[in-house]
Amino acid sequence: MTNEKNTDRIGAVLVVGAGIGGMQAALLTAEAGFKTYLLDKAPAIGGLMPLLDRTFPTDTCGLCTSCPTQPAYCPFIECDRHPNIELVPYAEIEGLEGRPGRYRVAITRKPRYVDVELCTGCGECVAVCPVEVPRELGGGLETRRAIYRPYPQAFPDTYLIDREHCTECLACVKVCPTQAVNLNMQPQSDQLEVGAIILTLGASAFDASQKGEYGFGRYENVLTSIQFERMLSLTSPSRGIPVRPSDGRVPRRIAFIQCIGSRDITVKRGYCSSICCMYAIKQATLARERVPESESTIFYMDIRTFGKDFDRYFERSRAGRGVFYQPSMVSTVKLIPKTQNLLLTYTDARGQQREEEFELVVLSVGFGPPEGGYELASRLGIALNEYGFCRRSALAPTETSKVGIFVGGAFAEPKDIPETVAETASAAADAARFLAASRGTLLQPRGEFPPERDVSYEEPRVGVFVCQCGTEIAGVVDVAGVATDASQLRDVTLAREIPMACTSEGLEAIRRAIAAKELNRVVVAGCTHRLYESSLQDCLRSAGLNPYLLERVNLRGECAWVHRHDPKAATTKARTLVRMAVARARLLEPARRTEGALIPSGLVIGGGLAGLTASLSLAEQGFQVYLVEKEGQLGGNLRHTHYLLDEADPQRYLADLITQVESNRRITVYRQAVVENVSGLVGQYQTVLSVAGQDEPVTLRHGVIIVATGAEEARPEEYLYGEHPRVITQRELEKKLAGGDEAVLTARRVAMIQCVGSRNENRPYCSRVCCAQAIKNALRLKEANPQADVFVFYRDIRTYGFMEDDYRRAREADVVFVRYDPEDRPQVSPQGERIRVVAHDPALRGELSLDADWLVLSTGIVPCAGNKALASMLGVPLNQDSFFLEANPKGSPLDFETEGIYLCGLAHAPKLAAESIAQANGAAIRAAVRLGKERVEGPAIVATVDEELCAGCGLCVSLCPYGARQMDDAMRVARVVEVLCRGCGLCVTVCPNGASQQRTFGARQVMAMLDAVL
Amino acid sequence: MKFSYYPGCSLHATAMEYGSSVQAVFKALDAELVEISDWNCCGASSAHNLNYLLSLCLPARNMAIAQEQGQTLVVPCVGCLSRLKMADRVLRDDPARRREVEDIVGFRYSGDLRILPPLAIIGHDIGLERVRGRVQRPLEGLAVACYYGCLLVRPPEIAQFDDPEYPRSMDQLMEALGAKTVEWSWSTECCGAALSLTRRDIVEHLVDRLVDTARQAGAQMIVTACPLCQVNLEMRQKAEGERLPILYFTELMGLAFDLEGTKRGLDQHLVSPLPLLQSLSLVPVGQAF
Repeated sequence: MTNEKNTDRIGAVLVVGAGIGGMQAALLTAEAGFKTYLLDKAPAIGGLMPLLDRTFPTDTCGLCTSCPTQPAYCPFIECDRHPNIELVPYAEIEGLEGRPGRYRVAITRKPRYVDVELCTGCGECVAVCPVEVPRELGGGLETRRAIYRPYPQAFPDTYLIDREHCTECLACVKVCPTQAVNLNMQPQSDQLEVGAIILTLGASAFDASQKGEYGFGRYENVLTSIQFERMLSLTSPSRGIPVRPSDGRVPRRIAFIQCIGSRDITVKRGYCSSICCMYAIKQATLARERVPESESTIFYMDIRTFGKDFDRYFERSRAGRGVFYQPSMVSTVKLIPKTQNLLLTYTDARGQQREEEFELVVLSVGFGPPEGGYELASRLGIALNEYGFCRRSALAPTETSKVGIFVGGAFAEPKDIPETVAETASAAADAARFLAASRGTLLQPRGEFPPERDVSYEEPRVGVFVCQCGTEIAGVVDVAGVATDASQLRDVTLAREIPMACTSEGLEAIRRAIAAKELNRVVVAGCTHRLYESSLQDCLRSAGLNPYLLERVNLRGECAWVHRHDPKAATTKARTLVRMAVARARLLEPARRTEGALIPSGLVIGGGLAGLTASLSLAEQGFQVYLVEKEGQLGGNLRHTHYLLDEADPQRYLADLITQVESNRRITVYRQAVVENVSGLVGQYQTVLSVAGQDEPVTLRHGVIIVATGAEEARPEEYLYGEHPRVITQRELEKKLAGGDEAVLTARRVAMIQCVGSRNENRPYCSRVCCAQAIKNALRLKEANPQADVFVFYRDIRTYGFMEDDYRRAREADVVFVRYDPEDRPQVSPQGERIRVVAHDPALRGELSLDADWLVLSTGIVPCAGNKALASMLGVPLNQDSFFLEANPKGSPLDFETEGIYLCGLAHAPKLAAESIAQANGAAIRAAVRLGKERVEGPAIVATVDEELCAGCGLCVSLCPYGARQMDDAMRVARVVEVLCRGCGLCVTVCPNGASQQRTFGARQVMAMLDAVL
Repeated sequence: MKFSYYPGCSLHATAMEYGSSVQAVFKALDAELVEISDWNCCGASSAHNLNYLLSLCLPARNMAIAQEQGQTLVVPCVGCLSRLKMADRVLRDDPARRREVEDIVGFRYSGDLRILPPLAIIGHDIGLERVRGRVQRPLEGLAVACYYGCLLVRPPEIAQFDDPEYPRSMDQLMEALGAKTVEWSWSTECCGAALSLTRRDIVEHLVDRLVDTARQAGAQMIVTACPLCQVNLEMRQKAEGERLPILYFTELMGLAFDLEGTKRGLDQHLVSPLPLLQSLSLVPVGQAF
């Protein structure tokens, strides 16, 4: 995909669909130097994200911490503020002309009937609107008016009119103070010229009323999981407490029914929606947390917690009381009229038909293709699969059927947030590679800031802004009182309330106040400093102030949220915190970020599928790459994959990929090479390699690192492996099948055992690929010899996504699947040439005994033994299972906390080949974005040494984890290498003399805060 | 509008009131039913358990006659309907079987014959608008539970009628007559009619649940479209206490249309609907039929 000669391509990208995937893709293409349009048919960007209060498996808030960098930022705000991103909300694509690289996209901007420029968001119009209709967010449990905002924090933050329901009474027109309502607005046609298109349309929830037996839409206490998710949100009318719609009572007994509109050919949805098991576990756990006396039963076919750390989450929910699992489908839900309770019919583990009464039923709805997906696909001329999702080939996970149009996220196949983020990053990388020669041709320069005012001779003039945060803070804390109180404090020139400090209006108000009152210190009392820090700092800079003359107070988290039920105490605490903040702010001094040079090249560790993909991607985006492989041969685990569930030929793909890597002039490959030492930091790493056959170590200098070290097939220690010649692993079977081994191809009976050595105490994770691998091999055996009996002993079959079709195909081909309990595993014993397998068969409700010609063990994936050494060399963490631990499993699955180091492939967690490709390509654009900057900026808040006080004891030097401390032997004092300092503050705490201080967090400032509170 | 009519054995015997009310109601709606000549038993309830080929040939012979007559075939008995539609499906999809059956029965299967229950004809070909126009005495105050049972809508690939999990056709018809229908979750549960004579223990339990839950849902009677369900529900209800009347939907149509002929059947039921209907003034007190 080398495109360096194609300079006539337009350096602009259109991202269609502004959910989490679209926002992330847009931010990446924008950061990578392309003008980016982010279009959505909805009136606000965000997709499904506003629905989510907590996300699995960390149970942290969905919005605020789903953040690609530290300190965390909000993708909504970033997209809104990014100079290279143009938001195109509430628009439809009408047609496509031109050719790849030079597309002309005809769009229609739908009329909002409210002028975005004039609307101040006061909400007067809503108060007078007489029409009430179900609100889209949360599946219609709540209502909205015909003039509305999709939800309170919507971007763009403007109202609109739903003309379908509007009665044209004109009440809103009359009441609007700025005459923003205009019912005569017309749709506007427009045309966007772009080089590439990224489709991140997402998916839409299944309409549960199609499954009449469950009574959704007729029985009030039967909800969809979308509705229940909304109910569990702290911003819902019941404030996160589940309630029964029939009577408002809190339910004690809740049933979850899985696979509603998934794995169900009667509604033409044969595939698995992949995310429902996890969200049901989350919802059941959360319901229990909110209402401790509630109990939930989850009715399921297979628990599919196949993602990283997902099995732990599942096991945790089982270990606690209150969440029960019933492995059977529910045939009907019946209404008991008197109580409005629900009677569920199912067959229990003993085969007995049972009926059980519940107070609330949650239908775990699956996801189908997005609404309007068919029309859009035909307008763009891209192919869809039989279910209406975007068609792609197995080993090109982000390519559509049309050149220059890429896909990522749930529109290609249902998937969760981390995989969406990784895959849409890969789509962004594809676009960046396709348009590599046109990078930066259409960029707006970032706005210049006015020169900084020197405030060192000014008396402190502190401005205090107390944010209402809509009603999030003002609903609990007496915001006006806090502001009045602050205005009495020393050196406070101005103290006032502000409706939403983080919006453009809020920031502009602060900027104007700084100018008008000549403020030189700013305190913003609102949300956590993890949010909007850069927006607020930019606000100060635009007013001519150094950005570090800012102090934040977290009124939302530390007052309003935690003391929700005690407004008086919350207000008292708010006053105290503001007092402390002002005391520190008075003493703040300007600070500057340290800057360092950046070497525009990357080191990729590992030459398997992920490493090769990442190298090629980074090189095609224009950067030098050093690829290090410890073996003599490139290709890693993929060398042992001979065929896939679909048509793709993995060996041919691999050979082609290796050729491309080896022939790329920007890539240098080191085989039989070991990383001996890594030093430096982002922008300026120095790595020492020892290469077989070379006496001298090789030293490389590079700006970033991509970890793609892979993993290994586990070696079993049970089930006669190594003792009986007919006991083999799946990989060994695949090799025999591919090699045409007669003894395998003519076998009369083959038994497979899943989860060998996994999902137990030693290895409490799912290896994710083994179910698909077993089914792939079982189908091969059946193809070669339809008379062969193939038995698969399993715990849960985890053929997520479209692989469910292959599972069905295997059952249709008479592969027999027998579920076993981990407490009662199959027993195997040698029977001469054959192996006897004895297991309890829950379907037959009896013992099954069979003699197999071959016993095949699905052994799973284990992390590389060398992970620990490499992790400590790089200063990055591993998880409990010794896989590398990413910065944030939701929002930053491709990054480490340490800037400049990225992660992909099996080193991260077990995954399929296509998933490794997407992740590697995604990691490459994360790296490319970093390498695309001219310099590296370090933190401004670094440690300092007061040489007068320093005794030269050297404690700090030995303790600094970043090598940022050196001893000046001549002067006998410690010094700080600012560009390496991360500002962790460790040196400050160990210094016996108080010589070590943290810039802007010095003893003076901290003591002033303590004085203010005591 | 003209239709072929296959009464099957029950509509001439145990379900005479179903047969006569179907005839009367269709006539009132200006739809002519022409009973096919020389029809035979469809074999329902036993043939398919004994001889698969016979279970195809018996209905196929009736289909051959109807095919000759040319019009859509109306089959009120759900047992018969299911056997006819099953045979139709096999003849349509399995060429080898088709040839075998054609040779035995002595006809050529054209695939053009529509086989439908009266509910489908009334709801679709005739239309509820015409039904509403024909109502003389709206069934005001009457709350009914519409009972579809197993075979009218299932298996869906055979029945190809209404939503198999939440059928609505009978409810909509009853509402068109002015009756109130109740939300009742048991409307497609099995009543066990096939075991009515051999396993009373099972059947009584099933029937009790249907009757009890219909009553809890607020129904004053159960309405059905199947002769086997009707007789089973009526016969196997608990003898003691207040019992729920079980009527054919066509009987209620006759009542609403004020058709003298259909009223005569009302006092033939094992559980008389007359006290209820009289209390609602839908039937005059003391009237003899």
